[in-house]
Amino acid sequence: MIEFERFKLNNGLTVIFHKDVTTPMAVVNTLFDVGARDESEEKTGFAHLFEHLMFGGSVNIPDFDAPLQNAGGESNAFTSNDITNYYDVLPAHNIETALWLESDRMLSLAFTDKSLEVQRNVVIEEFKQRYLNQPYGDVWLELRPLAYEKHPYKWATIGKEISHIENATMDDVKSFFQKHYSPSNAILCIAGNFELEYVKEIVTKWYGDIPSAKKPARILPLEPEQTKFKEKTIEREVPTDAFYYAFKMPERRDPSYYIVDILSDALGREKSSRLYVSLKKEKQIVSNISAYITGSLDHGLLVISGKLNDGKTFEELDVALWETLDELKKNKMSEEELARLMIKIRTEKEFSEQGLLNRAMNLCTFELLGDANGINEESEIYNAIEPDHLYEMAKQILVKTNCTLLKVKAKQNAK
Amino acid sequence: MLNRTIQPDLQSIERIDFVKPIIYDITSEVKLFFMKDVANETTRFDLYFDAGNIRAPKGTPAFVNGLLFSGTNEKNSTQINNEIDALGGFMESGLSAENSVVSMYCLRENVLPILHILTDAIDNVAFLENEVSELLADKKQAFMTNMEKVSYLCQREFQNKLFHSSEIYSTVATEDFYENVSPKVLKKFFQEHYQNGLTKVVVVGNLEQDAIDEIIDTVGKWAKIGSGKFEKEIQNLPGENHLEKENAVQTAIRVGRILFNKNHEDYNDFLVLNTILGDYFGSRLMANIREDKGYTYGIGSMVAEYNNLGYFMIATEVGKEVKEATLNEIKFEIERLKTELIDEGELDLIKNYLLGQLLKSADGPYSMMDLYLSAEAQGLDFSFYNKAIEELHSVTPQRLQELAIKYLVWEEMTIVSAG
Repeated sequence: MIEFERFKLNNGLTVIFHKDVTTPMAVVNTLFDVGARDESEEKTGFAHLFEHLMFGGSVNIPDFDAPLQNAGGESNAFTSNDITNYYDVLPAHNIETALWLESDRMLSLAFTDKSLEVQRNVVIEEFKQRYLNQPYGDVWLELRPLAYEKHPYKWATIGKEISHIENATMDDVKSFFQKHYSPSNAILCIAGNFELEYVKEIVTKWYGDIPSAKKPARILPLEPEQTKFKEKTIEREVPTDAFYYAFKMPERRDPSYYIVDILSDALGREKSSRLYVSLKKEKQIVSNISAYITGSLDHGLLVISGKLNDGKTFEELDVALWETLDELKKNKMSEEELARLMIKIRTEKEFSEQGLLNRAMNLCTFELLGDANGINEESEIYNAIEPDHLYEMAKQILVKTNCTLLKVKAKQNAK
Repeated sequence: MLNRTIQPDLQSIERIDFVKPIIYDITSEVKLFFMKDVANETTRFDLYFDAGNIRAPKGTPAFVNGLLFSGTNEKNSTQINNEIDALGGFMESGLSAENSVVSMYCLRENVLPILHILTDAIDNVAFLENEVSELLADKKQAFMTNMEKVSYLCQREFQNKLFHSSEIYSTVATEDFYENVSPKVLKKFFQEHYQNGLTKVVVVGNLEQDAIDEIIDTVGKWAKIGSGKFEKEIQNLPGENHLEKENAVQTAIRVGRILFNKNHEDYNDFLVLNTILGDYFGSRLMANIREDKGYTYGIGSMVAEYNNLGYFMIATEVGKEVKEATLNEIKFEIERLKTELIDEGELDLIKNYLLGQLLKSADGPYSMMDLYLSAEAQGLDFSFYNKAIEELHSVTPQRLQELAIKYLVWEEMTIVSAG
């Protein structure tokens, strides 16, 4: 059980406080309800570029990092298709420095031309390092627009293309900030060995006078239901053929989200999973294979990916893979197999809650989903899942018309 | 009215409470380190073996490490994986130059059943032909993929030149590693370095004394007799090398030299110098090469440690067209450390930052154990960190300048680029 308190400031900022008496450290985690899905198709990569700019100085404080380091702390952030999350970890007695820094950049940024110019270059190098200069690095740049036709999940957080980042202007930056970086669009979590009254006092002190703004309405293009199989083959300078089967799945708030999560575990999480045992150990068609879900807030993907063994073909793979998927639709899973998947989930949750930062981040994510207490209810939802649920869900989503396939062919094998 | 231009008052860290693990003698040389104070149900145990990459030529240590759970005459690998997964165990096996480590993460209620499955699987591993050839094919494929990455190409060449004077430390993987491996050779290595190669056991978790005794009884038979030899002196090969890779859009760069580990009198102060240069987000290399020039997504420097030595390294990936410019800026920042005294304000910031990071490294039983192990591997204990805190308080700009002049000599650096 993860205990927490929740309160709200007049300007709309939601605050979660999680007390942990065992640690000398504190965490200040700020989740902004904005991600790559909130970008326009002509200006992609913006939420992520903006995350970089948040470290380029705020209205009253020229440098974000140095004061935090002086307080013995450090900071980082990440952007996904759904959210942008910033965190500071520092000795508890210096927590006010983190609140001072975070509240000032929520108030307003410095918006210097130099910061924009440099961070554009840094992000372009990040684009190259992670997506262009790695074998299989551009797979998600290809898979997303293939799987999604309308929904903004069709572009990656880094952006659709480098030119969108190159062309970002100061006006774009300012209006993005005005729209998305207001208290009502943020969830703040304070974690550490404090008293609630003290937390209320210091949070009100630093955040209380930030002007309120209306939480922006989110009206995203709806993804039409997929009705036919989609497939694409790309050729790349890679040593081995690779494959990505993607199936649309329910959104994060839907209880069936958890059912699909277990299905993906059954298929390809561990070395005891169905695809690993069948396609790698028994039939020796692949050198590796795994299944996972994207964890998206809107309709996400269950992905099965891996690499072919030398001399094996995509056709052999396809037959064997569908045989394994069909098993789940023909026969209900045994209680024994389900128990094996559940103990893994339970063990993993226990480890993930070992860390203070993880707890703070998860509390914010669940609060965004509707209630921070969701963190304590998750296990119950998993425990209620039975073989029948998995059987019905498999029949619904593990079907060809719900599938998108990307094949990466090694160039020397292309002929 | 709130004044937002002034930073709230800071308190410095007065002391850090280090909690030493309980130490059990498995034999006079092999010990078990136990950290009991875990607030939830999680448990981890690690088995350390003297079976690192330096213990045999070519890929033998990696193959044996990769085959530890590949099946016995009674159980195949899938059965073993099934049994461990059914108890919720997450297994990791790691290999470095000087160690092979098998780690298990699980709930405490399952720790002993998992231990027995795991030790049976290891002790009776049969090196079945089909498993050996499957692993070789997988490893070869992974190697071919890695060879497409400029960071891997660069690091591989750097390692080769860095450990130049020692044949075994400087060995890097080549394509012929993955051909003609005989189960006989693997078996012999296994007997020598696993069944008679256990060097350390680590347990973190709220376990009772009985459980610890059972762990010792179960794995004690593998305890190594005598201690393994590790290289004390290696010379790196200075000079610049470039590996051309067609179509690469970035160039990876490594600059470094052989140095020392925690046992050297200059270590603690050098660590401060290293942090200033490149080991935190506001470091001089980051400030100049990322935050001012925008040449890279990231650049950093580090001190890596072995049992008896260490090395210093700067690593980055930059736009192909700015490789020379980046090397010039690295050189510029190194020269600046030798010619200009570090500003007191910058040094204070580093001191506060490093103390905060040490406090974080000692937060919670898992971190505390890892912090302890990092000293223990070099024959030290927590008194090392207490001494480090004292030295951190007293280090001066003059002292750091001396160290820069002494160790950051461009002509003594191994420089490799790939791209």
